[in-house]
Amino acid sequence: MKRSLIFLFTLLAFVSFVAAAEIKLDVKEHVLPNGMKILMIPKPGVPRVVCHIYFKVGSINEKPGITGLAHIHEHMMFKGTKMMGVTDYAKDAEIDRKIDELMDKIYREKYWTADGGDKAKLAQWQKEFDDLVKSEKPYIIKDEMWNLYMKNGGTALNASTGNENTGYYVTLPANKIELQMLLESDRMLNAYFREFYSEKDVIMEERRLSENRPGYFFSEQVNAAFYAASPYHWDVIGWMDDLRKVTKADLIEFHTKYYVPNNCVAIYVGDFDPQNIVQTAEKYFGRIPKGPDVEPIRTYEPPQYSEKRLYGEGPAATSLQMMFHAPQAGHPDAAPLSVLASILGGGGGGFRGFEPGDLTSLTAPPIIRGQRGGGFGGGGGTGRLNKILVQEKQLAVSASASSRAQWYVGAFQFSATPRLDKNVQPEDLEKEIWAEVEKIKKEGVTPEEIQKAKNRSEAMFIRSLGSTSGLAGSVGRAELNRGWRSILTDYENLTKVTNDDIKRVTVKYFVKDNSLTAIYKRKMGQ
Amino acid sequence: MKKTLTTLLAIVFLCVSLGLAQAQKPSDLKFAPLKYDPPDPRAFRTQLANGLRAYIEEDHNLPLINVAAMVNFGGLYLPKDKQGLDNVMSGTMIRGGTKTKEGTAIEERIDFLGGSLGFNVGDRTATLSLSVLSKDLDEGLGLFFDVLMNPEFREGPLNLTRVRLVQQLRQANEQPSAVLSREYEKVLYGESPLTWQPTRKTFESITSADLKAVHAQYFFPKNIIMTAAGDFAKADLIAKINKYVANWQNKSVKFPVFSKQFPQPEPGVYFIQMPINQGYINVGHLGLEETNPDYFAVQVMNFILGGGSFSSRITMKVRSDEGLSYNQGSRFSYRWGFPGTFSGYVQTKSSTVGYAISLIENEFNRIRREPVADAEMDTAINYYLESFPGSFETAQSRMSTFANLEINGRPMDYYKTYRDKIKVVTKAKVQEVANKYIHPDKLVVMIVGDWEPCNKGGDQWPGPLDKLGKVHRIALADPLTGEIKK
Repeated sequence: MKRSLIFLFTLLAFVSFVAAAEIKLDVKEHVLPNGMKILMIPKPGVPRVVCHIYFKVGSINEKPGITGLAHIHEHMMFKGTKMMGVTDYAKDAEIDRKIDELMDKIYREKYWTADGGDKAKLAQWQKEFDDLVKSEKPYIIKDEMWNLYMKNGGTALNASTGNENTGYYVTLPANKIELQMLLESDRMLNAYFREFYSEKDVIMEERRLSENRPGYFFSEQVNAAFYAASPYHWDVIGWMDDLRKVTKADLIEFHTKYYVPNNCVAIYVGDFDPQNIVQTAEKYFGRIPKGPDVEPIRTYEPPQYSEKRLYGEGPAATSLQMMFHAPQAGHPDAAPLSVLASILGGGGGGFRGFEPGDLTSLTAPPIIRGQRGGGFGGGGGTGRLNKILVQEKQLAVSASASSRAQWYVGAFQFSATPRLDKNVQPEDLEKEIWAEVEKIKKEGVTPEEIQKAKNRSEAMFIRSLGSTSGLAGSVGRAELNRGWRSILTDYENLTKVTNDDIKRVTVKYFVKDNSLTAIYKRKMGQ
Repeated sequence: MKKTLTTLLAIVFLCVSLGLAQAQKPSDLKFAPLKYDPPDPRAFRTQLANGLRAYIEEDHNLPLINVAAMVNFGGLYLPKDKQGLDNVMSGTMIRGGTKTKEGTAIEERIDFLGGSLGFNVGDRTATLSLSVLSKDLDEGLGLFFDVLMNPEFREGPLNLTRVRLVQQLRQANEQPSAVLSREYEKVLYGESPLTWQPTRKTFESITSADLKAVHAQYFFPKNIIMTAAGDFAKADLIAKINKYVANWQNKSVKFPVFSKQFPQPEPGVYFIQMPINQGYINVGHLGLEETNPDYFAVQVMNFILGGGSFSSRITMKVRSDEGLSYNQGSRFSYRWGFPGTFSGYVQTKSSTVGYAISLIENEFNRIRREPVADAEMDTAINYYLESFPGSFETAQSRMSTFANLEINGRPMDYYKTYRDKIKVVTKAKVQEVANKYIHPDKLVVMIVGDWEPCNKGGDQWPGPLDKLGKVHRIALADPLTGEIKK
């Protein structure tokens, strides 16, 4: 026993110090025999620990028919296990099986027939379904896992799904990490998806909330038009039809394939003893059997070969978006494009290694009400586009650029809002932006602009090390793709960018056949 | 000897095995005790030159410095015809430049250093905040105090800000959640500085002279609390700040006095038409002030009612049981110096609007009528006790928490006694405050949504909506003019 303990700690001694900007990102690593990775960033001080688990699965692992499933699955992971959330597992499972059989009949009648099925039959089955749901209630302990976390001082309790990964979060008192390991390993091993059908209703309401945001439908179409082939084509929330029709069997298949220990990483940031974390992780996560290897996505975005344009009208602000396909994270051109975005956009671009991207979460953040001021500020920045279009030529109220390199695709985007009081049209801004791009193709940018972008990246990098949950998110997610050290190499690559690099990537990527231009005009109350 | 060794080894083995034993269920887990004493704000409070107060903490973990000045000035102090001056000031305090520097030069320099300098005016606090690498402390502080003491609000940037604000104003009636929160407060507070809105006319009327006058009136050392956290030597930083403010004259200012009397709105449904596929709903009335001694009991009560996410009744019933919504709950919001608002909230598809409201109202009644369960109390109380250290995680958050304590007029031992005040809340007290602060006979039910389908309802709760009380249809004011179209 003692020997194995010593062996355990020898493994742990593999600690990584990598210097960047004279700052050390000290991540301790441990790999369990089943392939699950445990990362640790000790930060002594306040006795709390950020505990996150990331799975290498997101909306890009879906396909037509099951869009939105990664996110549905994330919600369902809170619906109990064989142990949690149930008073009598055997009895509950029996009812749950009947519910699934009945719903299978209902779905076939409703969705497999052209006319939507026999109404009387459906009504009868729906009544049977309602009765079964009612009979299951006494066996369900509502949100037991959530309650346990809360009762033990869990904060920042949430989960979120992105294009590429899914995260489960809780911050706990430093003496209660074992609770997280017990509950999380239990739901990896023994997830049992109760109340699937009412949870789908919840998610449809979540989608409606997005739909009611002015401009949402247009932006969803812009994204779908921009990514024609790759699975970035659909939003994380999924299409409404798929949310309606996706089945419990789809969900179980998805869970079995992706929620295996060799497809995930657990990360801890805070006040703890790493030896203790490793020991406890061996106990709990170590009991999960290794799963089959997971195949990466097959469909990358093919070259576009033609210009795309999209026009829309509705209640959102009049605006221009110009999007260009760009390489994925880690590609040699990603760094110059990022520096260029920082130079043009000011507020956007720069060091982006620590940004989580678009996420769909389990619960909404609390809305702060009764506050003044905050919502009206902004719109500034010292980027080149802002200087030229907003300040000098006074054609826009805002103008920005951003570069986003994702795991398998990338996008460079310009956004601008025209001055309505001067009757400027989005198309006028489009011409201005192209003129600026052509200028950069020939002349590049100034040394001061490059230096500023690098300084900003350095400072953002250092700041990101100060946040516990932000650090957990970026290190954990990076580990799943190119390893957490890619955060450091991405940063180092930014520091090496030259004016020639910027000219080269501008020539290469900013061409019409690689672009989508989206013009949106406000319809109401001009 | 051999026997002793064997026994010893057996004991060691037993201890190690116990240590490594895997709990089968959460109730098997035993946690080591954890003691945490919150930091004492008085240990960080410093009196600087000219009556300037500060909370300062050294933190050498990263080569960063965060400094902020919180000024006792906010949008509430403005007269009705200068509404929006707070927004204009937020946009021009830095960008409008100082006596000696153009705003663009200041922004350019801060950006070049990889720093940030921001300014925002809230209800009753205006905050200038700076973040720079510690090597840039002197330059950063120079720009910070130049902006804080000598803003010039130049015409060019001022005009751009006005244009941007007016253009944003056009969107003010498009976002359902923003419309709901604004109109809900209008009904609850009535005609009041708390609910006045800027219009195109008020934005355009704001001049550089107005902004300078406000600055001259409220920005002086005794009216400011500073916070600083980061990689500096405290004595050195104090000396530097003192040098800046040594000659900054204090003034006497008379703060506006506000009425705390608000009209009692007629209970019932307040409906705002918008062509969307859900109803955005608030159900409630005015709440209480943060300084009310019942605050702690109300927190516990609201956690159980609808503030504790999935551990609360409204979420469990409306979302988890019925699948009616993604976002729902109840909240007591607080506004310094005024009673805040209380609301149950939910967004749900049009056909289940009435049903969701009825479920929320049931929960209001239930928590008044019946004592809460022991398990609910246990979860709520333990949540507040166990999560308590989270408020003090970084030096920056500690300093800003303490400054806010002083600004809000709370005692310095507030955090020291916080857990004791939570611990003493009983089931009887929860029921008492539920009855005291939730009034089912006074509910304002505000809905932003599409009238026809919302009013029609669905199988579980067929309409019409006047089953919930008298229906008032609210016409929104044109945000540009502030006028309601007939």
